[in-house]
Amino acid sequence: MEKLNPQQVARLYDHLVRSGTDTDLLSELLDHLACEVEYYIWLGLPFESAMDKALMEADVNAVQTLRQTYQRELSLSGLQLESASKDDILFQFRNKAYGAYYLRQAYPTALRNAFGLTLGLFMMLIGLMHMIGRGSFSYFSIWGALWLGGLVAVTLASLSWYLENERQRIQLG
Amino acid sequence: MEPTQSEFLRGTLKTIVLTLLTNQERMYGYEITQAVKERTRGQLVLTFGALYPVLHKLEQEGLLITESVEVEGRLRKYYSLTPSGTQAAQQKVSEFERFVSLMRLLLPSPKLALNNL
Repeated sequence: MEKLNPQQVARLYDHLVRSGTDTDLLSELLDHLACEVEYYIWLGLPFESAMDKALMEADVNAVQTLRQTYQRELSLSGLQLESASKDDILFQFRNKAYGAYYLRQAYPTALRNAFGLTLGLFMMLIGLMHMIGRGSFSYFSIWGALWLGGLVAVTLASLSWYLENERQRIQLG
Repeated sequence: MEPTQSEFLRGTLKTIVLTLLTNQERMYGYEITQAVKERTRGQLVLTFGALYPVLHKLEQEGLLITESVEVEGRLRKYYSLTPSGTQAAQQKVSEFERFVSLMRLLLPSPKLALNNL
């Protein structure tokens, strides 16, 4: 049986993308259409008519109907919906790998780290300025405590930021 | 395909897919449509629009597992039954047979039904 060459497969791919095929279905539908074209060629049709016939069956309407059925059938339901986050619902049938999903998921942690870092640095700055102004420093005063508290906050926030970064690096390979 | 036929098909698609997969180790989407076409001598045609949502749904329910294999430079996704899928297939078939026998009770006698066609 004659096989399609990469250029011919690429034409099918373009068609599917332009008709708005779900990313989850793309590679599978591509194989499906390619098999169909090969089958028509095997039946004796020239390549162009085989292509037209397959594309006609997978026209925009068919692909859109598929998309609708797919999203209705596979949408989160019942228990899944109860445990799903807002991001899960928002990113259903959307490209999660693109990055926005991850950014949204990481947002609360990022916000907490940034807040901790800012607050800690600010506390350290105040402690430092007081120390410079007075010319003396003791850990056993309000300002000393402020300095220490700031140091702890900065350390924790930096550590958490570093760990989050590592996690992301491992996840994204 | 006539609209009534597609209406029946929608309700039995899962049963069809699961049954086909009990006979075969693993199948890919196009192969399933071809198998249905062959066995019904071209009288029943599955469109890809009906098939793939069902396949993905069954996968989500844990009745099927998939493996992607590169064939001639294309990614081909094979479906096969999980143990619970095999059980579900048997259950679906027996349920459907029961339903058919009930339908027979409801329909007028076969002879009359044939005359009405």
